[in-house]
Amino acid sequence: MKACLEFEDILRINRPEISKLREIGDSFESVDQDGACEAFGQQVQLLEGAVIQCYKIAAVVARKKGGDLSEVAEVWEQMSQFCQLALEELRSLKNKYPHCGTAQLYDRVLDYKLAADKRLQAVQEEIECEKRSAIPNGLFPDPS
Amino acid sequence: MREEVGDPERLVSRSELEELADLFDRFEFALDPLSAKAREAESEFENKVRQLFSSRIAPKYPDLGLSVFRCRVRTWCRRFLQKSSRQ
Repeated sequence: MKACLEFEDILRINRPEISKLREIGDSFESVDQDGACEAFGQQVQLLEGAVIQCYKIAAVVARKKGGDLSEVAEVWEQMSQFCQLALEELRSLKNKYPHCGTAQLYDRVLDYKLAADKRLQAVQEEIECEKRSAIPNGLFPDPS
Repeated sequence: MREEVGDPERLVSRSELEELADLFDRFEFALDPLSAKAREAESEFENKVRQLFSSRIAPKYPDLGLSVFRCRVRTWCRRFLQKSSRQ
């Protein structure tokens, strides 16, 4: 029997990188404490890597799902929610850690969220098209 | 049977759709969605879809909107890419 990982599993594996950002952020009273910015900045880099890696996997999984539009939509929705969680943590920590790479990561995660949202919206439109809009028979050849 | 290029029965040939699928693949499933290559492929895809629609689809099917045509092309590309990657 083949054991398959779902995209949700990939996100679950990476979600702790978001909560660790909060833990490290809260573990220092101020960014001026020794090692605060270094520790926080290191976690910022790990979270950035997690977001980029998850996005790449989302793209590969969405391609494999092909014409199963509802499953494709689910992948992009999950990716968008992962980015949203990261953005919420970053938003609440950026005043305490205004430097340490926080603002740059915020912008980057936002870009990835927008990319996921754009793909989600497009596939949702395709789902609506299939439900509501007939096209002339034979306009397209069979994709096989 | 596969339709060949220039099939008089098709408004959009298989080879044109396969070319669109290649562009679609380069932006929709780009590992880096922010790359210049992905943006360029998306722009080229959009231009080709518009051009096909205005030159061949709209004159014959005036009730079929561009957004519906685009949706159907995108879905065709997804299915084509899925099937071709299995082969």
